[in-house]
Amino acid sequence: MSADDILKSLHPLEVRVLLRYGSNDIFDTHRIQEDVGLNLGQCNQAVSWLAAKELISEHERVHRTVYEITELGERLAADGTPEEQILAHVSDHGPAPLPQIASALGLENRDVGSAFGALSREGVLQMNGEKQVSVAAGTPSERMQQVRALLERARGGKEIAADRLSATEQEAMAGISKKRGSAGAPFRVIERDEVTYRITASGLEVQERLQAAGITGQEIGALTPQMLKDGSWRGASFRAYNIQVPPTRMVPGHRNPYCEYLDRVKDKLVSLGFQEFDGPIVETEFWNSDALFMPQFHSARDIHDVYYVKDPTHAKAIQEPYLSQVAAAHENGWKTGSAGWGYRFDRDFTRRLILRSQGTVMSAKTLPQAAIPGKYFGTLRCFRYDQVDATHLSDFYQTEGIVLGESVNLRTLLGFLQMFAEELAGATEVKYVPGYFPFTEPSVEVHIKHPVLGWFELGGSGIFRPEVTEPLGIKVPVLAWGLGIDRMALMNLGLDDLRELFSTNIENVRLRRGK
Amino acid sequence: MPKIELSQQAFFKYLGTTMQDSELEPLLTVAKAELDEPANAEGIVKIELNDTNRPDLWSTAGLARQLRVYREATVASYDFFSQPQQNADTAERRVVVDPGLADIRPFIAAFAVEGAPIDEPLLNDLIQTQEKLCWNYGRKRASIAMGVYRSDLITYPVRYRAVDPDATEFVPLGAGSRMSMRRMLSEHQKGQEFGSIVAHFDRFPLLTDDNGDVLSFPPIINSDRIGAVEEGDARLFIEMTGTDMPSLLTACSIVACDLADAGYTILPVTIEYPYDTPVGRAPATPFYFQQSSSTTVDYVERLLGRSIGAEELIEGLRRMGISADHAEGTVTVRPPQYRNDFLHAVDIVEDAMIGLGMESFEPQVPSDFTVGRLLPSELYARRVKNQLVGLGYQEMIFNYLGSQRDFIERMYPEQEWPQVILEHVQIENPMSENFEFVRRSILPQLLTAESVSANAVYPHYIYEVGKIVQRDPEDNYGSLTRNGVGMLCADIDAGFSLISSHVSVLFYYLGKQYTLREVADSRFIGGRVAEIVIGATAVGRFGEIHPEVLEKAGIQMPCAACEIDLDSVMEL
Repeated sequence: MSADDILKSLHPLEVRVLLRYGSNDIFDTHRIQEDVGLNLGQCNQAVSWLAAKELISEHERVHRTVYEITELGERLAADGTPEEQILAHVSDHGPAPLPQIASALGLENRDVGSAFGALSREGVLQMNGEKQVSVAAGTPSERMQQVRALLERARGGKEIAADRLSATEQEAMAGISKKRGSAGAPFRVIERDEVTYRITASGLEVQERLQAAGITGQEIGALTPQMLKDGSWRGASFRAYNIQVPPTRMVPGHRNPYCEYLDRVKDKLVSLGFQEFDGPIVETEFWNSDALFMPQFHSARDIHDVYYVKDPTHAKAIQEPYLSQVAAAHENGWKTGSAGWGYRFDRDFTRRLILRSQGTVMSAKTLPQAAIPGKYFGTLRCFRYDQVDATHLSDFYQTEGIVLGESVNLRTLLGFLQMFAEELAGATEVKYVPGYFPFTEPSVEVHIKHPVLGWFELGGSGIFRPEVTEPLGIKVPVLAWGLGIDRMALMNLGLDDLRELFSTNIENVRLRRGK
Repeated sequence: MPKIELSQQAFFKYLGTTMQDSELEPLLTVAKAELDEPANAEGIVKIELNDTNRPDLWSTAGLARQLRVYREATVASYDFFSQPQQNADTAERRVVVDPGLADIRPFIAAFAVEGAPIDEPLLNDLIQTQEKLCWNYGRKRASIAMGVYRSDLITYPVRYRAVDPDATEFVPLGAGSRMSMRRMLSEHQKGQEFGSIVAHFDRFPLLTDDNGDVLSFPPIINSDRIGAVEEGDARLFIEMTGTDMPSLLTACSIVACDLADAGYTILPVTIEYPYDTPVGRAPATPFYFQQSSSTTVDYVERLLGRSIGAEELIEGLRRMGISADHAEGTVTVRPPQYRNDFLHAVDIVEDAMIGLGMESFEPQVPSDFTVGRLLPSELYARRVKNQLVGLGYQEMIFNYLGSQRDFIERMYPEQEWPQVILEHVQIENPMSENFEFVRRSILPQLLTAESVSANAVYPHYIYEVGKIVQRDPEDNYGSLTRNGVGMLCADIDAGFSLISSHVSVLFYYLGKQYTLREVADSRFIGGRVAEIVIGATAVGRFGEIHPEVLEKAGIQMPCAACEIDLDSVMEL
């Protein structure tokens, strides 16, 4: 740090300490407290900051033991020690048994017992034939007098340095002091280093600069309402802050970036003229697959691909005429011009309740009420019988949609795919390849080139088979499309594990942000 | 979607040329195929095939055929097919079907081949074709099973019989000793895997030759003699049994075309049925049963969005291996023998699209005007989210499936579990007990989030706006999906008054007046839980989470929470 930077980084407390002393001064925290008028805490802060910046340095370090009077000590100094109280009591009231003395003085039997023991050893008190305590010498022992003298010296929160005690005083002090942390003694023993400091060469240089800049350490920190009220800010000097200090962390209210991404996709689709649809999570085999002309024996309709609802197992009814028309489309093509799948449609199985496995369900369900021309979409939670890992979830989102119109065709489908690629995914290049979906013919996959990640599949699409649309009452071509929205979200969030999208870790989600 | 492995060398031989991956990859799109893994050190390439209705592509020869036909624009032709009223000469090669099979596994198709000694790549390919055809297209052998045999050991006619599974014994492939067909179901690995297809019948299907030597027990296992084909065999007998004649004949044609492409002579076999079938009582197989279909040039042009013309259309179809001709704007197509995926004119349209080339269709900006709209529930959800973010909440989003432990046991005292389970939609075939229930409340997952986030700076204010599913016996589906919001505050002083203030702010800005009433809910501390009521309708609850619940969730911070049914609030 240059001297200028140091200058800016100084706290007013440091400035005041630094300005106070000259090159020959030796000072410690006690002296600073008196000289600068700071409390001990401020002193310690200023000294440690200045030392860290090497503006002051240690001059001398002395290890000291001091005795600090405790609350108990203050009380004994004022009220007398148990020994003093017992001696006075017996002197004033004549001999008495120990318990009687204890209760008269309001002391514990134990304390009175140990005090008597000490005093009888020193020949101050004695026990007479009737087990009563009586006066022997009648005057306080030398030790008692020394204890009294120590208490008096320390009274009022003063410390006594160990090196200031005579040998007998030290002996007396040992009996009435304990180390920090232990309780119940009149004095606490404190071991500490006493350090003295002096200003360094660079400290003197900074001091000069402070003086030259007219900085006193009395500059205004926070502007207060009072200053504004009384105008005292006028003519005052405002301390320059260190603007490089890292800001304190705040935890704000925050949207989940994954949800925000889904919202943005929805908004984009609305801007392209799509109306949103939504529907129940629990669905029937009818809408999930049959209405999409997937034969009931299709390999993707295995028990191992779809979650079945335990209870109730079946819907009460499937709406007519759609049930009969879809059933006929499967069996013989109905009036669609199709040969159909040529098997017997199972009308019980079609009512089987499952968890929606594909968003296309809602595209099909929207058809009977759809306007022509019309555009519809939904971002729908879907459920698959999959082992959960980085690329598979038990439930996930699909964004699906349809476009109905007299004149829609493959080229308008490609037009939409191009629009999605550019508007939703920011693709620089788009490629269309033939695809396969059981419910569309022709089918097209759209692949896009991501600026960073290269080519990947954005989604699938096609023109609904007439066996899908006509049984649901639609005579015009219907474009259908679906986007791998969760994968796009991962890219947007810079993640590589689908499970992260549904993270339960609050800290992760707080720190997450989209592009 | 099937994945196949193929020998690059064999593939290029079928294709008639070699090519780099960069040239192969775009060509594969013609077959809706993708290069999954390029050639390894042994020259094995992995390819993924997307079209589940094109089993003809699931073999080295079949995939190469489609690509070769596309490049050369020449339809592949085969001369060994029989047609209605036009059986090929089958000499002594006959399969005689027992009447008892009519209700068990009624159909069979067969042919023999002869040619060069079979080598390892071809044998592997044949086994792979058998697996893919029978698994994906043949519904795990239920509708198609295939067997390959050493025809030198067979004395015609082959007999397809229904036999007593306990009284019939032979040595199955890979077993080493005779056992009854019944025992094979429980003791042979293939019996355990596929036995359920026939186990419920009194009699089981059995193929023998005229001497009574066993070929196989369809659809389970070959015999270990006639059914043990090895490298170097030059004469094979191939049969398929099944329940659906069109798919069976298609599968038979696919394998015959593949072997013909490999240079083998196909020797047709006559099947003699004692009952009627869609192709009569004595068809010779391989059999071309497909009907021609037709559409108009105009229909194709309307769906594809550009003018094409009959000649260009026929040329495009030819690249897909389809022969077609036209008269007065109508195009009539004859599907290739190895395909049976033309249900409707749209299927012709798609092949035309691929044959003409995707690049020949320019994207067109849509012209129909429509008004875009979000759902009212979505707009309402956004109002709620904005308000909660303003209150300092972090938005969360959770999976909708969870465990009995998290959704039920952790939230309620044990005596309430049976009832609470009934209030949930439960999955009958869960993949794991971690995902066995659809959530009926958002609170359990908010608590899960809290339980794993004790290291995050407090306070924790989190919410989710999402769906829950409630059981409802009145509903057609027995349940209702509802939009709701769950909120959770975890902090030293997160209590009733805090969450109450948040609820009050939220409803103020939603413009809804509510009253509170006492409610018993064991998830909350008694006397510190309130039901939110609008008019006379309860729309939600909030309060202090019971320490019992917190303890079970491993949470050591007081939590106050709220859950509101947004659909109700919006409607009231």
